[in-house]
Amino acid sequence: MIEFYNVSKVYPSGTHALNGISLSIKTGEFVFIVGASGAGKSTFLKLIMREEEPSGGRIVINGKNLSRIKRREIPYLRREMGIVFQDFRLIDKMNVYDNVAFAMRAVGATADAIKKRVPYILELVGLAHKAKRRPSELSGGEQQRVSLARALVNNPSMIIADEPTGNIDPKMSYEIMKLLNAINEQGTTVIVVTHEHELVNSFPGRVIEINQGKILRDSY
Amino acid sequence: MHWHCKKRQSRKLYNMSGLGYLIKEGFHSIWNNKIMSIASIGVLFSCLILTGAAAMLSVNVSQAVENVGESNVTTVYLKNEVSSLQAVSVMRDIEKIDNVAGCEFYSKEDAIASFKGELDSVYEYMQGDANPLPNAIKVTMADLAKYDDTIKEIMKIEETDSYSNAGEVAKTLTRISSLIGNMSFWIILVLSIISLFIISNTIRATMYSRRYEISIMKSVGATNTFVRIPFIVEGMFIGLVSAVLSILGLMLLYNILMDLVQSTIPFDAIPFGSVAGVISLCFIVAGVGIGTLGALFSIGRYLKKEGNEILGW
Repeated sequence: MIEFYNVSKVYPSGTHALNGISLSIKTGEFVFIVGASGAGKSTFLKLIMREEEPSGGRIVINGKNLSRIKRREIPYLRREMGIVFQDFRLIDKMNVYDNVAFAMRAVGATADAIKKRVPYILELVGLAHKAKRRPSELSGGEQQRVSLARALVNNPSMIIADEPTGNIDPKMSYEIMKLLNAINEQGTTVIVVTHEHELVNSFPGRVIEINQGKILRDSY
Repeated sequence: MHWHCKKRQSRKLYNMSGLGYLIKEGFHSIWNNKIMSIASIGVLFSCLILTGAAAMLSVNVSQAVENVGESNVTTVYLKNEVSSLQAVSVMRDIEKIDNVAGCEFYSKEDAIASFKGELDSVYEYMQGDANPLPNAIKVTMADLAKYDDTIKEIMKIEETDSYSNAGEVAKTLTRISSLIGNMSFWIILVLSIISLFIISNTIRATMYSRRYEISIMKSVGATNTFVRIPFIVEGMFIGLVSAVLSILGLMLLYNILMDLVQSTIPFDAIPFGSVAGVISLCFIVAGVGIGTLGALFSIGRYLKKEGNEILGW
């Protein structure tokens, strides 16, 4: 569960990225965060990831106040989240299998756990047959599925997708969104940050629109 | 599951295979940045060789000082009127002075006897009361660095008159030894800082080339320790290789130089084998220490400033 209580963020440059936002995202929800460029979406993500701290207000994730957690506890907070990036963030010198396994190794998973979990997740995203391929040998949609597999592999309680369809064609975008929906149906909270209104209208879910650091709309 | 419950579970998951993976990553880094790694090894190798050379020179000079000290005897002459009996009493007083390792009475008769054979005519006419030479005491000192102070104390005894200045060589050697000691300290300090700087820059270059991977690691919840380990392995390995090469290089260089020096000046050099253990230990500790510190400096700074950012947002 993500709770924002009157959260503001002012950067040292003086930019007011968020102005007193309050919201609550329950476990298992599917939420779109929409807004134009510079609306405050990225700041919203940075705050959730505890990459930035709020200038005012309080953020609580799964009952933990992010302003009170210690620096060394941040990695454990992030393990609750799986991130899907717009530009996929895959390491091209590694094959698909290793890109996914990399996320498990980074949290200290055992070799046995990796051997069991990675093929299962690749099967889930429909890429088991391409496990030995390099990311550059895959299409944009496939690369995003690898990115999604990497986000899922550590079994996070929420998936945060930052413009997941920004770099792929409409057909593939639809596939990715279907996958995210399927993941959400299993009980995982999914937060999709996007500026594509068409995408938002095509799928059910809660829509939070941010504009100039304020919530403009919060509806289903 | 509540995230701090998972935290405990994740900690349990750290295992030997994970550590093996991180060590392997460290070696991959060295291979991927081989030019910078070779440059670092070269710089650290040069620094260790210079440090080792300074240390070997210092050890040899100290040994020479010790040898001179062992053979050095300062002759303290007593006043003419001091009888042999009184001289023995003076000798007891000198023995009590700090830094005096030993005393030997050298009578005026022994002194004149030394002319026998060489200056027989002098010897013949200077027997008994005609002997103009004074009684003397041959003094051996424990530490020649304290030569001046010890002589001053001896000369305070009323019966003493003068002394032979045979300690000059020893004093010069002691001065050289102390100069080399001081120079070695500065050489070691300056070269350690240079090595630290170079290694830390090599690691930083590796880090920048892997910043993308680091940002992904951080986004999935890798701890700073996990991110650090491959870089520490890299620094340690560079240090270890430099140390091993330096030990071999120093041994070769020292043996060649000592052969050259000994063929010109008869000189009792310390064999490398007698200090090889200590030198190897010091080089390995210094090499691995500098490598690890260099890595820790750069990764620490990186993680504090940029490493927490998940690039691109």
